[in-house]
Amino acid sequence: MPVWGLLLAIYFCQTYCWANPANDSFLQGVTAYQAGEFPEAAAAFEKSAQTQPAAGTFINLGLAEWQRGHAGTAILAWEKARWLNPFDRRATENLKFARAVVQAGEPQLKWFEIASTWLPPNAWVWLAGAGLWLAIGALVVPRILRWRNSGWQQWLAALGSGIFIFSMTANIGVVSRTQIGFVVERNTPLRLTPTRDAETVSTLAAGEPARKLRTRGNYYFIQTASERGWIEQSSFGDITK
Amino acid sequence: MKAATTIFFALAFAVNCSRAQLPPQISADVAAQIVMRPQPPVDSSQLGIISAQAEFDPPAVRPGEKTFYRVTINATQNSILWPDDISSPPELRLGSAKRGQLAQADGTPFHPLTEFIYEATPAAAGRMVISNFTVTVGTQSVEVPAATLDVSETAAASTPARKLILDVPRTNLFLGQPFQIRVLLPAEPGHRIEAVRDVQFNGTGFLTDKLATHQMIGGVTNGGAIQAAYIYETTATPIAAGPLTISVQGFTVPPFSAGAISITAGSGPITLGGTGQTPLVLLVSDAVHLNVRPLPTDSELPGFTGAMGKFLADKPLCSTNRVRVGEPLHLKTGFHGDGTLARFVPPAVPRSRDWQIIADKPPATGFTLIPQTDAATTTPAIPFCAFDPATGKYYDLTVPALPITVVGDGLPTQLADEENQDEPTPKLSGLAATPGRTTTALKPLQLQGRFVLLQILPVYGLFLLWQWDQRRRFWEAHPDLHRRHLARLALRRERRKLAATADSPTFARHAVTAMQIAVAPHFPAQPDALVGGDVLAVLGENEPEAATVRKLFSTRDARFAVTPETAAPLPAWRDEVFAALKKLEGKL
Repeated sequence: MPVWGLLLAIYFCQTYCWANPANDSFLQGVTAYQAGEFPEAAAAFEKSAQTQPAAGTFINLGLAEWQRGHAGTAILAWEKARWLNPFDRRATENLKFARAVVQAGEPQLKWFEIASTWLPPNAWVWLAGAGLWLAIGALVVPRILRWRNSGWQQWLAALGSGIFIFSMTANIGVVSRTQIGFVVERNTPLRLTPTRDAETVSTLAAGEPARKLRTRGNYYFIQTASERGWIEQSSFGDITK
Repeated sequence: MKAATTIFFALAFAVNCSRAQLPPQISADVAAQIVMRPQPPVDSSQLGIISAQAEFDPPAVRPGEKTFYRVTINATQNSILWPDDISSPPELRLGSAKRGQLAQADGTPFHPLTEFIYEATPAAAGRMVISNFTVTVGTQSVEVPAATLDVSETAAASTPARKLILDVPRTNLFLGQPFQIRVLLPAEPGHRIEAVRDVQFNGTGFLTDKLATHQMIGGVTNGGAIQAAYIYETTATPIAAGPLTISVQGFTVPPFSAGAISITAGSGPITLGGTGQTPLVLLVSDAVHLNVRPLPTDSELPGFTGAMGKFLADKPLCSTNRVRVGEPLHLKTGFHGDGTLARFVPPAVPRSRDWQIIADKPPATGFTLIPQTDAATTTPAIPFCAFDPATGKYYDLTVPALPITVVGDGLPTQLADEENQDEPTPKLSGLAATPGRTTTALKPLQLQGRFVLLQILPVYGLFLLWQWDQRRRFWEAHPDLHRRHLARLALRRERRKLAATADSPTFARHAVTAMQIAVAPHFPAQPDALVGGDVLAVLGENEPEAATVRKLFSTRDARFAVTPETAAPLPAWRDEVFAALKKLEGKL
């Protein structure tokens, strides 16, 4: 048992607690950005983000893409930064600024999705796990250990159940938010059918949010704020990829 | 001199015969006006007086010479129920029927006129008659009169039957290869020239281009001599592979209705048009056979749009070599050749991730290019090829990629207007100095299977706890077994201590303790309260190890003696002690 606990602690810390030092790609990106070489900086930050996703890396990637004129890619990068760390004010400010410039809207979130933005996505799942086992433990362990029934046990079980139920709604919000993506290219055609020569329903602006409903071939069927249609996968940035 | 005559003829007929050198550029509104212009009414006053005429043209021939059997009815073609077979003498062979209809303008109203024509070849001399017969026109019966043909070996050499000449220079073609067709009507004796109207090509598997139609008077070679002729020229395109048969028919019509014009040329006076009322005559041509081959498919190059012939591509020119993202630039491309450019289809717009490409409106062949990203370093190559019928091969005309510099569209780094002074104006942040906390993936744990597996750990913990509880309950129900179990554990601990002991007094003390532990559950009693007799009672007084037990207890108790007894050396009794303990453990 101690061994299992130790492994669990190591895993948790390695995943969520340790702030890894800046890797070579990150430093190369910073150097290139400061030299005004934004395409090279974007490539370096992209490489760094692929190996070690981190909020700071995505903020820098968004800045480099913005300087290149790629508003859609920049907004996607900052959304990823905010996804990893909702408390990072730089990502929030940059998104507010970019959307004011390109006149793109924010994703329309449901109430449970809004609740899921209060903490990082993975925190909710740990919270749900802890709440569940706390409730189960408060009910089961005293009986096993033949402790006398007392109020604190019931209070602890109620607390665990409450945490579990609330965090489950947030977890549903997290899963639901994974379907949200952003148009990364300007004037992206929204098509009537998932074919190359299909009729264009409308043209989407870079950075416009949309909800992915289903996939067929190289196309996503998406729902924007006002309409539905098919879009090429390469023109649509998924927040979890 | 002959060339000058031809040019003069062409100029003289320029007024009446239109030359469609270029496709007519008629706007939609002009076309609508033409369609809506009041047309002369069809004369229906003579619908009740439908008549038919029949004759041989020419009426007298030698055996084997061709003539035409004509029937003319002043009614529309659709209203005539024409018989499939016509009774004719056995010596007179009739070909297949051809028919044509036109509206003859006679003053203001139109008179419908339909003509049926058969090619007739008499096999023997004699007087041959196609007797009168009846056809149904609308609701009434019209009698076609009898026609007589005189066939005689001694018949004077008559003017041969007039017919159209279909001149097709190329008869071995590829599918889709445009080819020229000339319809010739040579001048009659006396150099009288008539035009042809309502030209109709018979056959399947080809299309004629009405926009490429020319009409002229020119000289054609006939029997080694230049002869004046009316020439109707157009372009056709085969649309089906295999053998094709094509023929032509049309009505003769005098070019001038006001009377004839006589021109003195080198070969003598030529009369244009006729005098007075000239009957409209349906003429036909002999059939021409074409062989159409399909295009090779195995060697087709990318970008084939159906261009046939020999073309040359101009060097493409870009309107600029530096452009911002989203700004259009124009790529000028040009093609020249001997093919039919009227049917030339420009290269298709390729699909490019980095460029939005818009083709110029035909007949222009350029493109408007809009860069979508600053990652583009060249314009997109535009695949194109053509097929050369002479060599039977495709050749590449791809518009090559041109180097270009695309710069970003310069998104602002701060907002220009501060509309709301109360709220702080958002602005871009600076670079993050460190990546911050890293994670393994952007995909949340909720969607990863390993997190579900991780939930096994608390389940396992609860299982262990339950197992421990079950065991505890079992010991509570069986205290004797529990005592023996605890004694066994304690005995093992003491045995380990014994094994590690080197000196005899300590060994004896641990051995006694171990024996007390081993026999305690049998009474039950506290191990410390037991003496050697208790151990012997369990072990057996007569057992071989009994002496060892006594010796051990006496050695341990020797510490209380006035004169300590010297303990036996350890190796002498170690094995005996372990044997006794093993026996006691077996009784637990």
